[in-house]
Amino acid sequence: MYVELKNLNKRFGNYQAADGVSFSIEKGKLVGLLGPSGSGKTTILRMISGLEQPDSGDIFIDGVRVNDLPAAKRGVGFVFQNYALFRYMTVFDNIAFGLTVQKKDKAFIRARVTELIRLIGLEGLEKRRPHQLSGGQKQRVAFARALAPNPHLLLLDEPFAAIDAKVRKELRSWLRETIGKVGITSVFVTHDQEEAVEVADDIIITNNGRIEQIGSPVDIYRNPKTPFAAQFIGTSIRIPEYWKLHGYEKTPGFEHAVVRPEFVLVSKIEKEQYPVTSKRGVISGIFFRGNAMELNIDVNGLHLTSNQSLDEAAFAVGEEVSVLIYRLYIYNETEVRLVENSSIKSDGTFFI
Amino acid sequence: MPKRAMGTNTGRSIRRRRNQVIPGFGLSMGVTIFMLSLIVLIPLASVFVVLSGATPQEIWKAITDPQTVSTYKVSFACAGIASVVNVVFGILLAWIITRYKFPLRRVLDGLIELPFALPTAVAGISLTTLYSDKGWIGGFFAKFGVMISYTTIGITIAMIFIGIPFVVRSIQPVLEKLDPQYDEAASVLGASKARIFFKIIFPEITPAALTGFGLAFARAIGEYGSVVFIAGNIPWKTQITPLIIKSKLEQFNYTAATSIALVMIIFAFCVLFGINTLQARINRIAQG
Amino acid sequence: MKRNGVQLILILLGAAFVFVMLILPLITVMTYALRQGWETFAEAITDDYAVKALKLTGFSTVITLAVNTAFGVFASWAIAKFAFRGKQVLTTLIDIPFSISPIIAGLIFILVFGRIGWAYPLTESLGVKVVFAVPGIVLATIFVTFPFISRELIPLMQAQGNEEEEAAALMGAKGLKIYRRITLPHIKWALLYGVILCTARAMGEFGAVSVVSGHLRGKTNTLPLHVEILFNEYKLTAAFAVSSILVVTAIIIMILRNIVEYKLKKEEG
Repeated sequence: MYVELKNLNKRFGNYQAADGVSFSIEKGKLVGLLGPSGSGKTTILRMISGLEQPDSGDIFIDGVRVNDLPAAKRGVGFVFQNYALFRYMTVFDNIAFGLTVQKKDKAFIRARVTELIRLIGLEGLEKRRPHQLSGGQKQRVAFARALAPNPHLLLLDEPFAAIDAKVRKELRSWLRETIGKVGITSVFVTHDQEEAVEVADDIIITNNGRIEQIGSPVDIYRNPKTPFAAQFIGTSIRIPEYWKLHGYEKTPGFEHAVVRPEFVLVSKIEKEQYPVTSKRGVISGIFFRGNAMELNIDVNGLHLTSNQSLDEAAFAVGEEVSVLIYRLYIYNETEVRLVENSSIKSDGTFFI
Repeated sequence: MPKRAMGTNTGRSIRRRRNQVIPGFGLSMGVTIFMLSLIVLIPLASVFVVLSGATPQEIWKAITDPQTVSTYKVSFACAGIASVVNVVFGILLAWIITRYKFPLRRVLDGLIELPFALPTAVAGISLTTLYSDKGWIGGFFAKFGVMISYTTIGITIAMIFIGIPFVVRSIQPVLEKLDPQYDEAASVLGASKARIFFKIIFPEITPAALTGFGLAFARAIGEYGSVVFIAGNIPWKTQITPLIIKSKLEQFNYTAATSIALVMIIFAFCVLFGINTLQARINRIAQG
Repeated sequence: MKRNGVQLILILLGAAFVFVMLILPLITVMTYALRQGWETFAEAITDDYAVKALKLTGFSTVITLAVNTAFGVFASWAIAKFAFRGKQVLTTLIDIPFSISPIIAGLIFILVFGRIGWAYPLTESLGVKVVFAVPGIVLATIFVTFPFISRELIPLMQAQGNEEEEAAALMGAKGLKIYRRITLPHIKWALLYGVILCTARAMGEFGAVSVVSGHLRGKTNTLPLHVEILFNEYKLTAAFAVSSILVVTAIIIMILRNIVEYKLKKEEG
């Protein structure tokens, strides 16, 4: 394990920012710390970097306990949320700063900075000041500046938060690609699940200063381990009293349920496949989502969402449809279970 | 460096909560507290050291001495009137500077700072001469039997001079932030100019105007240089409180001087506290 | 915007106020200074005592600037860059001199270093005279202008946040390098602004200095005190001639202040 946190605790006044945080990161992985704001993810990142000191617990980087090591000696590169580019220095000087502090010789610095500027694709902008750059360019400079002194670990705090939605997508894949090229172990913080899913090899979900779940995006999506993870990843809609739906029974100890859009099948009434289990609903809204249609359906006051591929039969708002919920996540305070619609199982058919 | 000295409980909590990587906390805090103590706190504490050697009766007698009380009246009355005048003209000046375009507007804006930049003694002798019965303005009023220099009118004028920048500079930023669209919207709705001002603008600038009033008032009470010449220092008539402190000091009556000083310090703190409370409210409005 | 009657009246009213209250006193100084011709004017400002007073004013202003700049730099660093308990109290304490009458500022130094002062035996044994001497004048001047520079720096540095300094520190930069390369470029105009305000006030300080000076001509007389003496001796022309030096300096300071303020606004915007 390259980075290892053992039972970290950190408190700011009444706010418990980290509560027994333990996890480890393999060398070369790109890991996303995902959680809502105030969940402690940035604090964890700042503790790894040395910007913040934990109240208790241990931090290991490459097998060495770094708690008492000054931040500058940890071999960590840090990209700040608002980049924190040095406003009064040029792009070149920004990237060179870490190397000049290390008193590297001029020729070496020039070569290294030139190499990094090529890596981030900003050739020709060396003499610009930060305020003459676009958000995406600033982000790239901040990235290069963090990489310049050759850190072993790269930490990025909300790397895309300050960027326009349009550029964000492009920058995400660029960052993923570039980090892969450099081969550096990286941890980034985000509150955007889409971003985490798209960029990270592994995701660590934080909530209220605690780690909820660690795993690959697919793994967390398929098998959420905690109620929070089930609700936070993917679109989820809470179903009150799920045992009143056809095909579900009350599992003792599980009071709540959520459903994902892909668990909901909407079909024309004449094409209904499971008449017994299906319910009738009314389409209350149709939204084009680029590669699919999002349907909002009202089933006796229960508002559900479903995705419909573009080449399937078109629906109209107000149309009465057949709705089938063939799976649910049920949960209590600590546990999540995936349950199938029992009537489909007994039928012996399973689709998709 | 002062890390070792701060091994107490509070010291530890300071260390834990401070920023972890930015260097220089110990040094800068050490220098700050050292210099602050040496130049401000310890000298100021001498007021209490000296007064601890006096009986409460002595102190009470000094601060309620009839001649001293007459100086409070002069100082407060003149400062009060001057600050009211300043609020009126302060709003007017801040308004024309932020809202209208006219020749020399920037010069006018810059001139507001004059009382900050001009040495108070120079302002003092200049105002005294200007408003004396032989001066340009004083001479005019003297024809009607109105004396300005060496009367409370003169004191008030000097206090207006010294206080005007405080009011203008308190109100100006609020007016600048106030979106002109705001009153445009009101005028589209058919409100008259006067109505817009009194119903919409005035409530917005009231806290700032009060802050300016407080600052100008506190300054006027404490002011010495620009007021002392024009006051003429006639006991019972035009003697201001800072002046009586100085004369007690020249008579080596340290207890009396220090007692009266304490009254002024307490008063200044009350004004400052009031202003800070107001300022907190202004900031809340400005932010949300 | 169209100009209407009300607007015109308001502008004229404001201009009249500024003319009577602020400009007329300036004109008074200049006309009285020159009313007996250039020769008398030159005589008054090259008078031995006037020159000595000018030197003392210059000296105490320079020392004051040095001390208060040092304080402003350290205090703003401690207050703006770190979180600690009692920060509000500390900033309030720093602002004290701002709210205290200059006469009281002078008084407290008499209470410390004067004949009845608790530090009197100490300074006496060291052979240093503070009250009615130059050190007292300098101390009183430092006191009244103490918060000027830190007040300009603290809000600006707080608004700028810590990330740039943190980024530099993470890369191993030491304190001095961080300050010189990262912090100072941000605050240089604000620092200059504070220095200008501090100069104006230090140069012109009258009340506090008059209490501790003892008015010894040629020894403990600053320019404003010299103006007072001349005025009280009914040497009006000389008093205004010496004043005119201070007025010209004040105007230069105001112009500089405006230039710096413009730069500051440009940097912030």
